[in-house]
Amino acid sequence: MKIQSVKDLEQIRQDYSQRLYYPEAVKVNIGMASCGIAAGAKASFDKAIQEFPNGNGIDISQTGCIGFCEVEPLVEILGPGKPRVMYKNITEDKILETIQDYNENKFNKKWILGQMRDPRSLLEDDIENPLAGVTPLEEIPFLEEIPFYHKQVKIALRNCGYIDPDSIEEFIAKDGYFAFLKALHDMEPKEIIQQVKASGLRGRGGGGFPAGIKWETCARHNGDRYIICNADEGDPGAYMDRSILEGDPHSVLEGMLIAALGIGSNQGFIYVRNEYPLAVKRLVSAIKAAVKYGLLGDNIAGSDFNFNIKISTGAGAFVCGESTALMASLEGQVGRPRAKYVHTVEKGFRQNPSNLNNVETYANVPAILLKGADNFAKMGTTHSKGTKVFSLVGKIKNTGLVEVPMGISLKDIVFDIGGGVPRKKKFKAVQTGGPSGGCIPEQFLNLGVDFDELTKVGSIMGSGGMIVMDQDTCMVDIARYFLDFLKEESCGQCNPCREGITAMLDILTDICTGNGKEGDIELLEELGMMIQKFSLCGLGTSAPNPVLTTILYFRDEYEAHIKDKKCPSGVCKPLFHYEIDEEACNGCTLCAKRCPEEAITGEKKAPHEMEQEKCIKCGICYDACKFDAVLIK
Amino acid sequence: MPKLRVDGKEIETKQGTTLLQGCLDNDIYIPNLCFLESMEDPSASCRMCFVEIEGEKQPITSCTVNVKDDMVVKTDTPAVRQLQRTALRLLLSVHHVDCKHCPANKKCELQRIAKFLKVGLKPKGLERYLQETEIDRNHPFINHYPNRCVLCGKCVHICRRQHGQSVWTFAQRGFDTVISAYGEAGASSLTCGKCDACVKICPVGALTFKDVQEDG
Amino acid sequence: MSQAAQIKSVQFESVPSIEIDYMELDNIIANEFNNDKENLIMILQAIQRRYNFLPRPALAYLSTKLDVPYSQIYGVATFYSTFSLEPRGRNIISICLGTACHVRGGERVREKIEGALNLCDGETTEDQRFTLETVRCIGCCSLGPVIKINEDTHGHISSDQVEKILDPYE
Repeated sequence: MKIQSVKDLEQIRQDYSQRLYYPEAVKVNIGMASCGIAAGAKASFDKAIQEFPNGNGIDISQTGCIGFCEVEPLVEILGPGKPRVMYKNITEDKILETIQDYNENKFNKKWILGQMRDPRSLLEDDIENPLAGVTPLEEIPFLEEIPFYHKQVKIALRNCGYIDPDSIEEFIAKDGYFAFLKALHDMEPKEIIQQVKASGLRGRGGGGFPAGIKWETCARHNGDRYIICNADEGDPGAYMDRSILEGDPHSVLEGMLIAALGIGSNQGFIYVRNEYPLAVKRLVSAIKAAVKYGLLGDNIAGSDFNFNIKISTGAGAFVCGESTALMASLEGQVGRPRAKYVHTVEKGFRQNPSNLNNVETYANVPAILLKGADNFAKMGTTHSKGTKVFSLVGKIKNTGLVEVPMGISLKDIVFDIGGGVPRKKKFKAVQTGGPSGGCIPEQFLNLGVDFDELTKVGSIMGSGGMIVMDQDTCMVDIARYFLDFLKEESCGQCNPCREGITAMLDILTDICTGNGKEGDIELLEELGMMIQKFSLCGLGTSAPNPVLTTILYFRDEYEAHIKDKKCPSGVCKPLFHYEIDEEACNGCTLCAKRCPEEAITGEKKAPHEMEQEKCIKCGICYDACKFDAVLIK
Repeated sequence: MPKLRVDGKEIETKQGTTLLQGCLDNDIYIPNLCFLESMEDPSASCRMCFVEIEGEKQPITSCTVNVKDDMVVKTDTPAVRQLQRTALRLLLSVHHVDCKHCPANKKCELQRIAKFLKVGLKPKGLERYLQETEIDRNHPFINHYPNRCVLCGKCVHICRRQHGQSVWTFAQRGFDTVISAYGEAGASSLTCGKCDACVKICPVGALTFKDVQEDG
Repeated sequence: MSQAAQIKSVQFESVPSIEIDYMELDNIIANEFNNDKENLIMILQAIQRRYNFLPRPALAYLSTKLDVPYSQIYGVATFYSTFSLEPRGRNIISICLGTACHVRGGERVREKIEGALNLCDGETTEDQRFTLETVRCIGCCSLGPVIKINEDTHGHISSDQVEKILDPYE
């Protein structure tokens, strides 16, 4: 069936809302993004399918990721006249029992994360609340009441985890393609751009350039204009784009369609990172479905508008996240950035005007058009509007993807949503912005997170990775880690980045191995500031950030490495050793049992001893000890 | 013809020319390695030709701006020199300084720039990082010396300009980036026996004909 | 030249001979990718999927077919980290060295695996059983430190489990 009008969409929405909200049978939704699969969701899914083949009274379905990675696999179960329940940690061994539990109305609290309200529709007034007649469970919180979700507001992630990513109908049931048809039938290109401008939406990929202004500039230049989606999410520790592509690919397609209408383009490209095979698979299936419904291709929805989308995959190069490098790579060449004295909105892909935004940016667009620019602009700070998705990872209790209004404090994100640092360790810093960003120390925890505030403290928003670090993270080692990353990922074209990063890395490696010298910190600062100033592209100019911010906020750690030849965090192996605290050790023998080198000896219930010659500093005893008896010296 | 002021001196240049070219034409030297006259899109990758232009906050590369009437330019400010000296020091940190045995001795751009900026050829403070590979003999007629190469890309560019496609290409990436002719050996279409454009244009003697030098 | 004796030089790498099915290769280039230069990276990926690495003769054929100089294809193949010009092992171990895995001890896992197999990043065991690669973040940060062996993701690895995990992969 080809969709011609809003009426056709409305029909599908009515039909499939029924299935989404009022299933006739018990429906089991298993979170199957790649993180869920790695945590065991695929095994659970297979087991459930095997037990309940289709038509057996229980409908097993897949969804994307609902964000709470720490407790994956996540399984939601709903049934006629019954509450919707989200279960946590449902591995293969628990799946059948969980379904049975639900069927028999037992609701084992230990396995339940929370109750769900109906998946919120952007046009929610149109649909009556399906859970109106259902009595909620007692003593089990609704999802939005638990700390992880309480402060979250979902716009970009609005459908992730709620719908089957392979079902365009379920996407439509959640108002999918309504914004596009509105733009196609009822809006002039200028109005579309005006809406995006009024929303204050800034690019979510790193630079934070206002999307509406970019669209407007691109539309002004003549040529075959291209709409390009940057899905080359390269920052280590950031995976929101992957999650959107795997959980809600159509929202990206819809965002691109709207951009194409506003800018005037007939061809789109999605450049996906090679490491995301599942995202590619779901995108391919989404594009096929959209073509089938006449929402992509020629004469879309009966109009004279044509738009096609091609998927290109990267091949492992961080620098291809940079716009000019990405476009070179799309052309089948090496991804070397070029000097941007001519912008890509004027001369980009195939020397034509090209509009590049990332996945999260496009995913926001349909929501802006449907709910209005004001609604979006109401959230956030003066210059950063709306919400931002962050991946909260590292030394944090509740690892996961969180979407929060701009301006929320770091403390709220790390401690209220993230639950703080596990195992009673002390918080040290949070790293934002990936290899181009910086490490933000405790003193700035009250900082309201937006594009400008993060820049003020020497970091950047980047694509939204937040890596939490605790007392066991060595900041010199972290700086070394990022430079090592960048040394490998530099394109090698301009000399400050190619040679400068190597020179800085060499100094840092010396410091980490006990060969640091007086004056090294100053040399790092000098080189860092030079590289910032005179590299060719954004990768180079931001490369020194991790080093410069750690020197700024953790200079004492650098000095301990250089002057005292000590690594206070116990990471740089030549600069520390482990000792067992006789007073604290109660002789539980756990460390001795786990030591791979048999370096720890001692009687039960008596303090143990460590033979320094045998110790390889693998840290297993330090992590294993429950009594803080293994010390870093 | 636009008139502009460079270092207090009034100069006149052709319309549409880059600032770097305009200065060079008027005997105002700005250190540069990767720029070729009438290049369409200068790669701006050597990061040497910085100047300060009135109205711009930071020094910018003069190969990426076109001359404009009444432009006021300074080529010799402390900020510019500091950037250029750091760039040169970094280049020298990966350069096998052995001028006596190098065919480019005395006509070498690096020597010229070092002299101009008053930087020693073995600058202090930075360690030296030489690639293991010292000679790449893959090309049938030409040897390539990665440890002399400054990766300016002129050879790639000139070859493409003269033959439509280039025998030389950048290979690898990051610190390992090299110029390479991998795989072109024996290709019947090669006219390298007759053409010496790349060897001639190389600013540092990283490309030599095989018979020029005893190469073990 | 006094240093002549110490000078290392590169010659053509010797690459093991391998049967190339040119008909099949032609199909990939022409039918799947329209003989289009812009698809070069994806064609190389397809060739690597087929042969587990990029055999030199296949690249030479590709060069004539797409009319792209061989050296340029070599440039692309060596620029992107997923490509390998040498045969890889039967099992590919990808150690995730994303930041989250790094702060959770990924480096120690890497040391352990390198020690156990006596390999460095990018190398293959003599018996062709394993190739070791590092990747920067596969987005499974909640499971860190993570390694991926072929298509299987193993999470929460501690260095003492390494041998047990590698064991089943023949």
